[in-house]
Amino acid sequence: MENKVKKSIDLHGVACPMNFVKTKAALAGLAKEDLLEVILDEGEAILNVPRSVKEEGHQVIKVENLGSTFKVLIKKG
Amino acid sequence: MEPEIDLAAFKKIGMIQQKQKEYFAMRLRTVGGDLTAPQLKKISEIAEKYGKGEVHLSTRQGLEIHNVHHTNLEKARLELEPAGIYMGACGPRVRIVVACPGEATCRWGIIDTKILAAELDKKYFREDTPHKFKLSVTGCPHNCAKATENDIGVMGALLPRWIASFCNDCQLCVNICPTKAIERLEDKTAKTKKPGYILRKKKCINCSICTLSCPANSWVIAIKGYNLFIGGTMGKIPRLGTILKKLITSKEELHALIEKSLRYYQREGRKKERFGHMIDRIGWVKVKEELLHGKQG
Repeated sequence: MENKVKKSIDLHGVACPMNFVKTKAALAGLAKEDLLEVILDEGEAILNVPRSVKEEGHQVIKVENLGSTFKVLIKKG
Repeated sequence: MEPEIDLAAFKKIGMIQQKQKEYFAMRLRTVGGDLTAPQLKKISEIAEKYGKGEVHLSTRQGLEIHNVHHTNLEKARLELEPAGIYMGACGPRVRIVVACPGEATCRWGIIDTKILAAELDKKYFREDTPHKFKLSVTGCPHNCAKATENDIGVMGALLPRWIASFCNDCQLCVNICPTKAIERLEDKTAKTKKPGYILRKKKCINCSICTLSCPANSWVIAIKGYNLFIGGTMGKIPRLGTILKKLITSKEELHALIEKSLRYYQREGRKKERFGHMIDRIGWVKVKEELLHGKQG
């Protein structure tokens, strides 16, 4: 069964590395396997945040292109 | 008073006369811009003792001590040498080799740039050429060390491959590939309905973004090697390097192609003609054929 999105944060306009810091903080408040939805900007943000999230042991499970931003779904590891 | 010295001989070892004719810039030899802390201290000491206490950073990751009086050049040089600091090069010859930090410290790095840069420096540094000749080694297609702006540019490169069974269909790769070389294809026929990801090899620039970022490690390295660019130059008539060969997997082959390119330029290049401009004069088709299949070494 699909997990429900537990938390959603909009990081449009938030630059690196603060966008990752905020993503990490949001994930810290969740339980293992919970889902976090994050809005990230194109460019540096979408290139760096998912990669850093992977390095922290979480998993990106969906990336949806919304134009100049992306909706990224992360499963807490 | 103008000093009576052999300016060409001085230039060859990177001692460059300033417009204040009694004073010289001492251009030092570095490889990939690397120096140890004690070496920096020694350079600092020499700059205070014989220069004006200033050090200049060159555009090729080199260091220069400016404003050294011509009567002090030899003394300064001899005091630098025990610290392993040698003179650089100027004029029509192979200059110091530029390199990014590469895979030793950079997450995107595909090759060990420092080792290769040191090999190239050892083989070719200060060799005479028709005009200045610059080599650069960059760890990946991010091209931080500007391989395409050098006469010879080596770039770490890889070819990714997609492993279906690992893929979680998140589509991150499609969205971050810098050249949109990855496409997601809906599978309308198979029972699994699992989509497939394909790599358009002609669009792929051989970077490490998909293989590093894929959350499921579904994009893996199929081939790892070097992309070799030749004929790049900035200066008065800029020209980006042309790719001679992609994904060279053997270091021996890479070295052989570099050797052949340099010898070809030394043979055919005219005075004050950069390698890239020689390539344009002769014609790319002919140059490529000569370098990849020609008999002359």
